[in-house]
Amino acid sequence: MRGGPRVLLTIWAAKLAALALRVTGRAGTHVPGRIARRLHPGIIGAIRHPARVVVVTGTNGKTTVSNLLAEALQGEGMRVASNRSGSNLAAGVAMTLIDAVTWTGRSRADVAVLEMDERSAKLILPGLVPDILVCTNLTRDSIKRNAHPDYIAWVISSALPASTTLVLNADDLIASSIGSDANPRTHFAVDRLPTDGDTPHGAAVDAAICPVCDAPLVWDYWRFNHIGRAHCPNGDFRSPTAAYRAQQVDGPNRRVVLDLDGDARPATLINPNIVNVYNEVAVAAVLDRLGIARERLVSAFDRLQPPTTRFQEETVGGVELVRLLTKGLVGVACSRAFEYLASFSGRKAVVLNIDEVSERTTDVENTAWTYDADYDYLATSDVQQIVVGESAATTRRCGSRSRACRRSASSRWRRSSPRPTRSTSRARRRCSTCTACTTRSSPAPRCRRACASG
Amino acid sequence: MSLTVEMLFPEIANLHGDNANIDYLAQCRPDARVIRTGLTDPPAFAAGPVDLVYLGPLTEKGQLKAIAHLRPHRDRIVELIETGTVFLFTHNALEVLGARIRNDEMGYDEPGVGVFELEATLAMFGRYSGKVMGTVPEVGPEHPVLGYKSQFSMVTAPESLPGFLTAERGIGRNRATAVEGVRRNNFFGTSLLGPILVDNPHLTRALLRILDPGTEPVLAHERLALAAYDQRLADFRDPRRWHPFERVE
Ligand SMILES: [Zn+2]
Repeated sequence: MRGGPRVLLTIWAAKLAALALRVTGRAGTHVPGRIARRLHPGIIGAIRHPARVVVVTGTNGKTTVSNLLAEALQGEGMRVASNRSGSNLAAGVAMTLIDAVTWTGRSRADVAVLEMDERSAKLILPGLVPDILVCTNLTRDSIKRNAHPDYIAWVISSALPASTTLVLNADDLIASSIGSDANPRTHFAVDRLPTDGDTPHGAAVDAAICPVCDAPLVWDYWRFNHIGRAHCPNGDFRSPTAAYRAQQVDGPNRRVVLDLDGDARPATLINPNIVNVYNEVAVAAVLDRLGIARERLVSAFDRLQPPTTRFQEETVGGVELVRLLTKGLVGVACSRAFEYLASFSGRKAVVLNIDEVSERTTDVENTAWTYDADYDYLATSDVQQIVVGESAATTRRCGSRSRACRRSASSRWRRSSPRPTRSTSRARRRCSTCTACTTRSSPAPRCRRACASG
Repeated sequence: MSLTVEMLFPEIANLHGDNANIDYLAQCRPDARVIRTGLTDPPAFAAGPVDLVYLGPLTEKGQLKAIAHLRPHRDRIVELIETGTVFLFTHNALEVLGARIRNDEMGYDEPGVGVFELEATLAMFGRYSGKVMGTVPEVGPEHPVLGYKSQFSMVTAPESLPGFLTAERGIGRNRATAVEGVRRNNFFGTSLLGPILVDNPHLTRALLRILDPGTEPVLAHERLALAAYDQRLADFRDPRRWHPFERVE
């Protein structure tokens, strides 16, 4: 085995710690992983790895892509080690690798699919030396932790082993720039969509100039933020060509054509949201690189489903209720939610529950991130109400009887509203502005603050 | 008079929502002409008078590009500062005008434009995030400026170089001083995010008065801006909301 007695000791200690946690009814990979890294800081590199190691990183979609990959590979009959139920930091990766070996250190997985927090690259990649690294995208994230996407690209690049094959998003000029000339690389993309434009706009366009001559890039198509396909007008530079492409995206019928390096095959579209179209083609690219037969690769999407923790949809009394959860303190994540909401037809009311619980009493939130969001997506005539308030965690029920609340209610909305469900009727009598948002499952923001500020 | 505002390099200097500083200024003065000078354009300030020159937060590569494009105009920038043109440089834009920027992790140590004797040192795995509250002469201690730092850099400068503010709480140019940013005549340089003109309506009103002494300043969304400031000030004055690291060592 690799590493000698210290590695074995670390494996035992971590496995025993995990066992002890399970016995006491707790789960998780973080604590045993931390113990392992304390006993052996180089454990990620020293332990025996599965025959193939795939790392998935990026600002958005890394959980979805790694879960889908793990599921697809299990469907192929492979033994898959993944941190899907654990942490994506160095400790979680260490524990996943420990779980994937026996007590004597022998590998018992065929492949590891590891989601990696972008900022942990330095602690994970040099030891892990993955065969494949997928970078879904690099867009703006927490101002405090992630600074800007170019910084995250540098963090990943400076930790990347030269032998790792990169699977990168060709439509993301920052994500597609990671690594060095030594890294073998292949790209995925989503072909031009009817909703794409020709010129970028909005608050957060992080790749706007030619890296060689500083001239403004010319866009073949522009999708959002710095996502799209562009070239330098002086011929110095252009977006990489994608070998793997999603074409003919048909949201309503849930169909897509996956072009696998020139071999176009119709497939099920797992979800019509653009971020999941990227996730699907990224998964297809990795499966193809791993040598999965293409007919099985494509049919895997018939049964794969993206996780739904950030998205729920239900019909309540004839009203379609869509709930989206975005990353906290990230303006561009809000923009994607706004864009998705805008894509629904018909009249809409939008409730924004914006809150940073962690900073409510022990800090003063830096609200600079709100200026990175593109509210223009909501500036359409079919968005009839926008209600802004803090999270319902501090709010038991709508408590306002103020004139301002009653006056600001849209009579048109009230006329067309369905009969209130039992749980909404109290709120409805008290404040009609909140009727749009108060349902059994979507708690109302505090009315006095929300309505009076509008 | 009508105002001319020059935004330098908005295609690269647009991080952390800070360009809302200029959006808000333009809402306060709907007659203002905003010139967006791209990297490959000649700056308007080089050819003639402008009322405000603004540069916002940049990436590390962006800082070096801004330096390269501003260096030929160093003497003109100095002249404009000496003759009272208003400048607003926020976050790490101020460092561009300094003597050097040193970034060991990314492997460079580059001279800046050389307008001010300040030096920036970046620690790419030691980002500092915290709050700052301090007084600016124009608005006095009853309306301190409230802002946020979220940065890789710490700046050193001689004590003779006046600051934008002196931090009553939080840190200044670096962890060892309460003097924050640079103020020379009408040059306002600060590392504070906010955007400070949105978060500090009293400061914005003072700036509008400097920009156009003949016109009574009108704040856009005045009632909301002042109410938000008062709420934020109350939060900033709550000692439970300050962490031990958020003070001068
Ligand atoms: Zn070029």
